Amino acid sequence: MFKLTKKLSVTIFTVILLFSIGNAQGTSFHGYTRSYVGMLTSGDNDFSIVQNTFDLDIEHSRKNVSFLVNPYIYQYPEKDLDFNLREAYMDIYFKAMDIRIGKQQIIWGSADGVFITDVVSPKNLEEFLLRDFEEIRVGITSLKADYYFGNKTLEFVWAPIFNPTKMPDKSSIWFPERNLSNAPIEPTIDNSQRKVENNLENSEVFAKFSSMGSLIDYELMAGYMWDDEPTMHIQKTIDRETQKPTSITAIPQHHRLSLAGGSFSTTLGPFVLRGEGAYYDGKYFQDSNQPEGVVEKNYLHYLVGTDFTLFDVNLSTQFIQETILDYDDSIRDEQYKNTMTFLAKDDFLRQKLTVEFFSYVGLNNSDALLRPKVYYDLQDSFELLFGANLFLGEKGRFGQYNENDMLYTKITYTF
Amino acid sequence: MKLTKLISKVLILILIFSVLPFAQENMTGLEIMQKVYNRPTGEDQTAKLTMTLIDSKGNKRVREIKQFSRDFEDMEKKIMFFISPADVRNTAFMNWSYDEADKDDDQWIYLPALSKVKRISSDSKSDYFMGSDFTYDDLGERHPKEDTHELLREETYQGEDCYVVESIPKQEDYMYSRTITWVVKDKWIALKKKFFDEDGEHLKNLTVEEYQNIKDYRIITNSIMHNVQKDHKTDMTLENVELDTGIPERKFTERMMKRGL
Repeated sequence: MFKLTKKLSVTIFTVILLFSIGNAQGTSFHGYTRSYVGMLTSGDNDFSIVQNTFDLDIEHSRKNVSFLVNPYIYQYPEKDLDFNLREAYMDIYFKAMDIRIGKQQIIWGSADGVFITDVVSPKNLEEFLLRDFEEIRVGITSLKADYYFGNKTLEFVWAPIFNPTKMPDKSSIWFPERNLSNAPIEPTIDNSQRKVENNLENSEVFAKFSSMGSLIDYELMAGYMWDDEPTMHIQKTIDRETQKPTSITAIPQHHRLSLAGGSFSTTLGPFVLRGEGAYYDGKYFQDSNQPEGVVEKNYLHYLVGTDFTLFDVNLSTQFIQETILDYDDSIRDEQYKNTMTFLAKDDFLRQKLTVEFFSYVGLNNSDALLRPKVYYDLQDSFELLFGANLFLGEKGRFGQYNENDMLYTKITYTF
Repeated sequence: MKLTKLISKVLILILIFSVLPFAQENMTGLEIMQKVYNRPTGEDQTAKLTMTLIDSKGNKRVREIKQFSRDFEDMEKKIMFFISPADVRNTAFMNWSYDEADKDDDQWIYLPALSKVKRISSDSKSDYFMGSDFTYDDLGERHPKEDTHELLREETYQGEDCYVVESIPKQEDYMYSRTITWVVKDKWIALKKKFFDEDGEHLKNLTVEEYQNIKDYRIITNSIMHNVQKDHKTDMTLENVELDTGIPERKFTERMMKRGL
């Protein structure tokens, strides 16, 4: 707590210092403050979240260089302040090349709400997929170089330090169904092999070629990375007499992944057609027939989608499929996992009032997450939002949270 | 011989100059609107665009944009960077519109919250731009071939001699059933335009409040779109207009949309 207070004090002092010299030297300060309250609809209507946020972008640019620092604070009633830097980087601009160095969010692909080739920045899933996307993505310390020729770009990313997906605490309502929930006895977790050591050999590298044109926009990408989510290796001790396990140890481990993929986006009359796919070489899955409970398989993840307008309502739908290649029946995940997304959005009162409905639908388990939202601009940049997160189904990615239906409100002032 | 040649030339010139005004007097609606469409406005333009949205009670909301546009061989490219209000700051919109009448525009939007450039359909041309009274199509240059034009009459409007032209879209489900435009003779500026909705009811008036001569081009710098049905309006002002500064082609790219101003 003392360390955090000290860290916060230093940062606030730095921000004030920057504020005071900033205006004179062309530094800009923008950001938002937000109050967010969510309530579960079941049981005693517990508050699922009560959060106050301050998020600040400090930017400064000269002719060929610039920097951005984005500190944020999440305040909760009964928890320590969550204070960190979402991004902190410098840009150097050359005639046909840009270099960005520092902590940064890197976003690839054409999918909405789905992560296929968008694998460079890891995710914060502490609130499942409910956070705004800029808050779901975690900035990574990296060097990004973009070389431009015409409307084409060649991008290279070197991330020296691996950052895994941030998962919810075990006490959180968003803690996912355990992969080992079918185990006959409660497994113990051995985190000794979880950490990926910070050294050059453990770096991640990514490359992307993209083109934007009248006919089509497309990206081709490849990456040599770590799986952001750990694989649970299992060690069992078996009683010789009963042949039943006396202890089960789950050892989370991150594995190397190679992947290649791409995305496209084009228009066909009134429709925007989008597609994205990635081939993962060497992804691990839980497999009860294997000695360590895991097996390495290749994996395909892709989507097709379209955006269009009907009666002035903006509509979008996507079909997503995950396929395990060379499938064995003993693998815990299904060979094909199909999901769809739907979005409808319209605005009224000269864009003061916006109504939005977004949903994920899991086709394998007939589960879904429905996210209706209404937001109203009390004034420019002062927004009041009412929304709901409704989980349907009994199992699956969304159905597992069917007790977590919630209503929420957010009030945001942007400056 | 020389004298005969000279007399012939003079006679031809007299004939041409006597026919020209006559020809102009008998211009068709299409020719007039073609003249408006082809009125030179420079090879490229940089300007700050301010839109003031005024509701029926007089309350105002302001949107500020920095925009760059440039004519290329067979298309016009435009890029807009949103400056205010704060919640849309750093959003960028790029449009490539083609001289070819039936070729749809290509459009992209950069949303800083998503940190990515998205291709969007130009089919949503009837959407209102940033909550203003201007649709995306109102802000672009509609190709005259997309409408059937008829010269209704000639009259004086705000002290200027004008052609009054009615334009009916060839596309049946277009957002306007017809428009009537007052075009200043010889200047080819559409000084006023009345828009009628799909039911044929009077919907909006566009009036040009100011145009300036900048580098020998006539540039509209202030106009007001008034929705007469809902009694709200949008004042659109161009400031710091710079023409023919040689904006490089690389300004109209994904790189610049992400980088911003």
